[in-house]
Amino acid sequence: MSRKTIAGALAIVLALGAAAALDTVTVMAADKTPISVIAAQYGPNTTQWWADFQDSFNKANPDIDLTVEVVSWNDIYTKVNTLLQNDKAPDILNIDTFADYQSDDLLLPVKDYISDETYAKFYPAFLDQSVVDGTCWAVPDLASVRGLFYNKDILDKAGVEVPTTWDELTAACKAIKEKCGDDVYPWGIDMTTDEGQAAFSYYTWNNGGGFVDENGDWALDSDKNVEAIEYAIGLVKDGYTNTDPATQTRYDLQDLFGQGKLAMMIGPNGIPTYLKDGGYKVNYGISTIPTNTDTSTAQGVMDRFMVFDNDDDDTKLAAITKFFDTFYDDDPYSKWVLMEDFLPATKTGADAMVKADDSYSGWLDILASAKFYPTAKAEWIDVKQGVIDAEQQALLGGDVKQLLKDLQDSVVNG
Amino acid sequence: MNRANRKGRLKHQLSPYLWLLPSFALMSVMVLLPIITVFYRSLQKFSKAGRIKGFIGFGNFEKVLGSSKFLTVFQNTLVWTVCVVVISTILGIIIGMILNTEFKGRKIARAIVVFPWATSLIIQASVWKFIINTDHGALNSLLMKLGIISSPVNWTSSPGIWFAWEIWVGIFVTVPFVAFCALSGLQSIESSLYESAAIDGAGFWQKTFYITLPLIRPSLTVATVLNIIYVFNSFPIIWAMTKGDPASKTDTLVTYLYKLAFINGENGEASAVSVLSFVFLCVVAIVYLMLSSRGGDKE
Repeated sequence: MSRKTIAGALAIVLALGAAAALDTVTVMAADKTPISVIAAQYGPNTTQWWADFQDSFNKANPDIDLTVEVVSWNDIYTKVNTLLQNDKAPDILNIDTFADYQSDDLLLPVKDYISDETYAKFYPAFLDQSVVDGTCWAVPDLASVRGLFYNKDILDKAGVEVPTTWDELTAACKAIKEKCGDDVYPWGIDMTTDEGQAAFSYYTWNNGGGFVDENGDWALDSDKNVEAIEYAIGLVKDGYTNTDPATQTRYDLQDLFGQGKLAMMIGPNGIPTYLKDGGYKVNYGISTIPTNTDTSTAQGVMDRFMVFDNDDDDTKLAAITKFFDTFYDDDPYSKWVLMEDFLPATKTGADAMVKADDSYSGWLDILASAKFYPTAKAEWIDVKQGVIDAEQQALLGGDVKQLLKDLQDSVVNG
Repeated sequence: MNRANRKGRLKHQLSPYLWLLPSFALMSVMVLLPIITVFYRSLQKFSKAGRIKGFIGFGNFEKVLGSSKFLTVFQNTLVWTVCVVVISTILGIIIGMILNTEFKGRKIARAIVVFPWATSLIIQASVWKFIINTDHGALNSLLMKLGIISSPVNWTSSPGIWFAWEIWVGIFVTVPFVAFCALSGLQSIESSLYESAAIDGAGFWQKTFYITLPLIRPSLTVATVLNIIYVFNSFPIIWAMTKGDPASKTDTLVTYLYKLAFINGENGEASAVSVLSFVFLCVVAIVYLMLSSRGGDKE
């Protein structure tokens, strides 16, 4: 037999072997109900947490085969969209927004797979954020809330109190600049592609404006919004902020804050852990976001679970219900939330958290009054990118009123 | 002619095609199929979740070409490609010529030149972003330690300057490739040519322009076409440094279409931009190859 023939025969044998092995795997899994989950990677602990959850869930439920794939935030949208284009939707997805999938009729209503017992655990205000046409399409997995972080030493040196209003903020920035010169940036602003929509909300919400009006319709070019963005851009123009708000992300600001080079910034409740993990030793305090109205509005961020409509039978839906019952059970759920320093989306989770560590109660109070992005509206993704673009053009000298008017027109008229 | 003989000849004629079959199959799957898919997708309407919603003709192209951003992004792409390719070609030739001369430590010098090429683009770009950072960048620290500046300088004070830095990084990582292409051309030039030119009284510049450059041109032509394609389509440098911000002032077509597809959820428009850049690049490459081969025929 020639060498070529042997090689060919070997290749065929190998290919057949691989096919047979694959068959065996399929057969082995056939008597179990498979559930696939794609989950966002919140931080360094997420992957391990899910691996442990998957193991214990599969052990406790021999008739279910749960597989969880953790995907980084950078890739998750690409990954999910590619799967959807090829009609390979996962069963369960953990991500921030749901409206794009819902408007394509790809999702199942929450009532189809969340047990009454689990449903009752959620804050009603959180569930409201995922309601379209009277139906709830997703459940919150966790939340975070943002407040003002300030460097106590710098504020003392400048002889100013923690600012609560815009006037006080401007005065504080001025005083810090006078006392500390070029060594310290008084105020941090992030208007990057990463998170520029957050800056829009900090200023417009605290000026009585926002993305939508009281009827829930887009109101991007309201006078209040124009005034708010002009105020923020004014802080940059007056030299009170970090040098390049269009390319310096919140993480850059957190590093500057940790190094004592930034006096004040708005950020999420996870910053204390970030500073601790980064080895930063900065003497800081936390307060409400400075406002131009009577009361400060905090910004809440919420992520979600949603279930894709894959023509599931009752066994499959029961398995999915089991998944959520297990996930939102108080013990694993409070560990889930604490894992990457987030806040719970369930009342029972919040109670457990405060019992474990009383310092969370302040954040939970802020969360209760926080506003959220209007992510239930199908145009949200255009609005999000649109406000970031308008901010960046305003930083380059564009007219805020015109920029927001153009954006409003393009969003409303398509 | 007997039958066995004819069969043998047929086998002989067919065998090259048989050998080419695997690479043809590979090319079809990895290259042709994606190109056809992108052309097809550019004519479809997409939902935000990336599902195809039907044929819309040239609607995506109209939207893309009607956007005020497209012109800025297209101009940026031209400036980016021309600057990086031209400057790195000139520098590459000079470095190639230096590396071709005899000097002590030439091997080490050649190895050092490879470094920027051997490191991944994303690392190069991140390192340069760190070097020029205003607040804790290496450049400011160095200049302040040397006493040249007293307080940190903002090296990226405008989108134009950001873009210039990105072009610089592009040049930095492209030069080694050109230098080695030039070097391989230079090494194949017979030294007797220079000797006889020297006897005829040719100086350094005459030798460079009448012997060196014409003889290394074939290898540089290939290098330049490859560079035009690579640089035009280069994504990591700009993405790692500015993400095309602020307001697309530092976007090139590739970062722009990435944002359209994966951040804005506009798959149809992103495919249209992709098709436009593909066609443009094909035309440029063909024109360049035609011009350079015509020049070659004359000699």
